[in-house]
Amino acid sequence: MKNTLLFALLLFVTTIGIFSCQKESSADTPGPDTTLDRKALLTQWADSLVKPGYQRFNDKLVVLKAKTTAFTAAPTTATLTAARQAWQAAYQEWQKVELYEFGPAESVSLRNHFNIYPTDAAGINSNITSGAYNFELATAIPQQGFPALDYLLNGVASNDAAIVQQYVTSANHRRYLTDVMAKMEQTFGTVYSQWNGSYRDTFVNNTGTDASSSLSRVINAYSLYYERFLRAGKVGIPAGTMTGVARPEKIEAYYFKGTLPLQLATTAHATVQQFFNGRTGRPSLKSYLDALGAKDSRTGQSLTSIINTQFGVSYQQLSTLGPDLYSTITARNADAVASYNEMQKAVRLIKVDMTSALGITVTYVDNDGD
Amino acid sequence: MQAGLRRYLQAYISAAPLATFRVAFGVLVLASVARFWAKGWIEELYLRPTFFFSYYGFEWVKPLGNYTYGLFIVCGLCALLVALGWWYRTAALGLFVSFTYIELMDKSTYLNHYYFVSLAAFLLVLLPAGRFFSVDAHRNPARWRSQVPRWTVDALRLLVGIVYCYAGLAKLNSDWLLHAMPLRIWLPAKNDLWLVGPLFNHPWVAYAFSWFGAFYDLTVPFFLLYRPTRIWAYATVVVFHVLTAVLFPIGMFPYVMIVAALVFFPAETHERVQARVQRWWSKRPATPRTSQPLVYAPRTRQLLLLTLGVFFVVQLLLPFRYLLYPRELFWTEEGYRFSWRVMLMEKMGQVQFKVVDSATGRARLVNNYEHLSVLQEKMMSTQPDMLVQFAHYLRDYYARRGVRNPKVYADAYVSLNGRLGKSFIDPTVDLAQVTDDLRAKPWILPFDDEITGL
Repeated sequence: MKNTLLFALLLFVTTIGIFSCQKESSADTPGPDTTLDRKALLTQWADSLVKPGYQRFNDKLVVLKAKTTAFTAAPTTATLTAARQAWQAAYQEWQKVELYEFGPAESVSLRNHFNIYPTDAAGINSNITSGAYNFELATAIPQQGFPALDYLLNGVASNDAAIVQQYVTSANHRRYLTDVMAKMEQTFGTVYSQWNGSYRDTFVNNTGTDASSSLSRVINAYSLYYERFLRAGKVGIPAGTMTGVARPEKIEAYYFKGTLPLQLATTAHATVQQFFNGRTGRPSLKSYLDALGAKDSRTGQSLTSIINTQFGVSYQQLSTLGPDLYSTITARNADAVASYNEMQKAVRLIKVDMTSALGITVTYVDNDGD
Repeated sequence: MQAGLRRYLQAYISAAPLATFRVAFGVLVLASVARFWAKGWIEELYLRPTFFFSYYGFEWVKPLGNYTYGLFIVCGLCALLVALGWWYRTAALGLFVSFTYIELMDKSTYLNHYYFVSLAAFLLVLLPAGRFFSVDAHRNPARWRSQVPRWTVDALRLLVGIVYCYAGLAKLNSDWLLHAMPLRIWLPAKNDLWLVGPLFNHPWVAYAFSWFGAFYDLTVPFFLLYRPTRIWAYATVVVFHVLTAVLFPIGMFPYVMIVAALVFFPAETHERVQARVQRWWSKRPATPRTSQPLVYAPRTRQLLLLTLGVFFVVQLLLPFRYLLYPRELFWTEEGYRFSWRVMLMEKMGQVQFKVVDSATGRARLVNNYEHLSVLQEKMMSTQPDMLVQFAHYLRDYYARRGVRNPKVYADAYVSLNGRLGKSFIDPTVDLAQVTDDLRAKPWILPFDDEITGL
């Protein structure tokens, strides 16, 4: 028995020895391994996408904070317009970082604090009246973030003068706007400082492919974002694909309306595709999948070109929903549904084909391979 | 021939291998239960979901709410008693029933090694593994038996042999041997492993692993049976399973097999080890006792042999039931479970259900995650029988919510072993009307490719 174990150990060591020798002999031949480096991929994501992305968003958020503060300090049509512009700019920038809901963002539920819509206008009004609210409660999720600001800056009254008047007369309104802003600043601040602190290294060094690995978390967040928050949230739910009844009032930036809702959606879509392709010559999902040799074994076409083609079609269809998403959903609902369907095709390529090719696991539970 | 068989059935060997198996098996199952609990899986898999995928014919087996914890306690306790050989027969029966009940509660947790545990526990109920090196025998020396019919030990060897051989046979197909799938996908995902990792980027390594894996599974039971190769074969068992444990998320399976393969060692080895273990707690040297063979009453013996015979015939035939279905096994999964098909497929899917009100024609789409756990959704997406079960659940769910005569359609998309995904089932078939049984499912769309082999 003892001998057996000793022997097994010996054999194991020998096996590893043989493996490592072979590794040396193949080191000089250019293998595919140079690009299959998950640490390089994660480093690229952390240092060239997430951190700079968050930095740009933080800049916009700082401006937004300043402008809303100026507005609450002295509500006039001019300060309102300035706050609104800052809100638009920050909302656009948010579309470029919302997909990073992993790590610190996931642990503070950043999206829940920033962009759950339709916003709960009735709830906001009663919060304003009572002056008592807790943004950490589940019921408060749709009473904060950008959608709440949308209502507060664009929807509390029928025209700009009336909105300004509302803030002039109601200290509670001024306070609620300030508190919403402060909550956003505080929540994002946590995430931002963690990325600039130790989390970056934690992220980059977690190079596995199990359910808790960085790659798995990123892919999970990425496909979830595309499926639920872009496909369903921005188009599917307002177009009524889930329920069979169109609900255009459920679009993003509903109170502002105009071209903004579609702009936000197309920015989000472009971000998803940019994240996939990265920069030429730098590690990206595309380069990693190409290095894996992922292709349709029936036709020989590479998976990345299939995905990019579908992203292209899907983006194209989404762009036709302009200029005003709200009226498009009402007037030509079929186009919105078609856009949803194209995105659904991309969802499958991401969630099924890409995830499968990457060999990552999506649950922690034991699995013997089916 | 007949005389040979008679002689074989009369042969006796030491009860030590049975005892080792009993102890090791009990301890491993206990560890599995503890691990399962510690990871929070009881709550995640059996308490939180509102819907469970039953096995055909076992629809009455359901989680017991908070009592499910009690079920796991019973199972763990029985495993401990089995290991100790205390109230052995009752404990083995309890272990078999409780463990099997747990596994039958939800199909989505199906694992081949759980199935193996159930089968081994069933054999332990029949086999005289509690008469030697056990608390029972210590408390009641009259029940002590040091010799058992040889076929009782061989039954366990046969079971382990079947597991390996059938797992090997299942690998004899074109995806595994000619395309090195799915290892070609799985190995590069482990390229950050210390030392050996970078090797996994090379396709030839996946081929080497595939071919070695098939050869290993097919032959290792024979090498374990043959004395001169046994020790080598066992060393390979250890290395192979340790490697799979490192590479794949298969939980306790590698350890179960490492321990189960011990049954191939001759009785003397087991006796030596047990004697040493015994010395740990009792300082006085074991008094040599005259060997005491276990003699069954003729009727009991006949019944036991008959039961074992039927058991093994079923075991040998069941994995081949897929031949009764017309189309590609990996695609339709008709007859896939309970056949030792381990680590054969990288299969992933996504499914979008649509519920239509027959009266108004109004259609709505279903968010699967509102009803299913991550594991359940993942498993259902690629397995047609589970798609039907969920469709029936949706039918009843929406009927209760006032949808008249709900029709349920599924738009499913599945990728298998690196092929680009394609439509999996006919999206025009109303699954609410389809019966869930063992017949072939004509509404599964064609695979449009071929995997040759077993």
